[in-house]
Amino acid sequence: MQNVVVLAHPNPDGFTHAVAGRACAGFLAAGHEVHLLDLYALGFRAAMSLQEHVAYNGDHPAIDPLVVEHGELVRNAGALVFVYPTWWSSLPAILKGWLERVMVPGVAFVFNTEGKVRPGLTNVRRIVGISTYGSPRAYVKLVNDNGRRTITRALRLNTGVRTRSTWLGLYAIDNSTAPQRTAFLDRVEKRMRSL
Amino acid sequence: MKVNLVYCHPSEASITAAARDRALAGLHAAGHDVRVNDLYAEGFVPELSAWERTNHLSPPDTKPAIAPYADNLRWCEALVLVYPTWWAGQPAMLKGWIDRVWVAGVAYELPAGSTRIRPQLHNIRRIVAITTHGSTKFVNALEGEAGKRIVTRSLRVLCSKRARTKWVALYNIDRSTDARRTAYLSRVENAMRNLR
Repeated sequence: MQNVVVLAHPNPDGFTHAVAGRACAGFLAAGHEVHLLDLYALGFRAAMSLQEHVAYNGDHPAIDPLVVEHGELVRNAGALVFVYPTWWSSLPAILKGWLERVMVPGVAFVFNTEGKVRPGLTNVRRIVGISTYGSPRAYVKLVNDNGRRTITRALRLNTGVRTRSTWLGLYAIDNSTAPQRTAFLDRVEKRMRSL
Repeated sequence: MKVNLVYCHPSEASITAAARDRALAGLHAAGHDVRVNDLYAEGFVPELSAWERTNHLSPPDTKPAIAPYADNLRWCEALVLVYPTWWAGQPAMLKGWIDRVWVAGVAYELPAGSTRIRPQLHNIRRIVAITTHGSTKFVNALEGEAGKRIVTRSLRVLCSKRARTKWVALYNIDRSTDARRTAYLSRVENAMRNLR
């Protein structure tokens, strides 16, 4: 299975990068192919441009070569994995922008003859979200965990009906201990190995 | 009332641009004092940088790039967000404005030794979102209304305890009629005229 790991954190020495590394290690140990898309390192632009907005409803909505490349990886992915810190209960702008610019008509969904949206990600069998949270779990629930909803509901609606989603969260990270963080990293690798 | 209107859309041909104009017409008719931020036109950079992340608790005067935005946020009594809903939430450009401007010293304080943030935007007593959704209200409910909850929960708790939120939305825009669009724009203008 070919898997895509999308990583959204500006600091290459940070915990989120360690998480993504362990997720990739898990996939490799299980004999899967994995593509790591480190959005900050790639200089991925978060904001959809005017040109892209104009092209959105045309025959070729993706015009940036990087976006085209990511779209092709997504179309061939068995598992889509998102690794990010939750900021203001949601995705960092760069990851939100990745969804907006890569998940365009022809990749994530298609419009049928009546103009209704139909799923395009039928190849994706598993969606995985791995996130760190500053807030404790109860507070995250209270504000609705909007990043998780975006991925496991809004994006999930564009996959096949059998696609499953997996969520791994490390809550209240500012108060977490080193052993807790190590345990989380182990959990991430183990979970990806056994997907 | 002092109003900070934050507009986010790349295209002047969009219904979001029309909604912005009608919102401003309503606000001016009611005599409100308005400061507009047009994130695309102003070339706002939505990606939080590594330096900003590492120094996320540093005082705002160390972050001159966000100063004009932070000033407006601390100044206003009403915050009006005008944007299209994409992938169930705010466009990346607007999410980046939240990530970069709603920081320590502007939106909240984290007292030394505490793990709980203290809201700081007591000046904001109205939050209005003016938005369009490609999908129907039903699909949005199914998807969990992420964009709406970010505004009514995550941002709202950083404002005045009595802050009220208002949602002015046009759903199912891909299949909407001219009449529905016209009605929506009128609703936008009325909501702004009656803002208090």
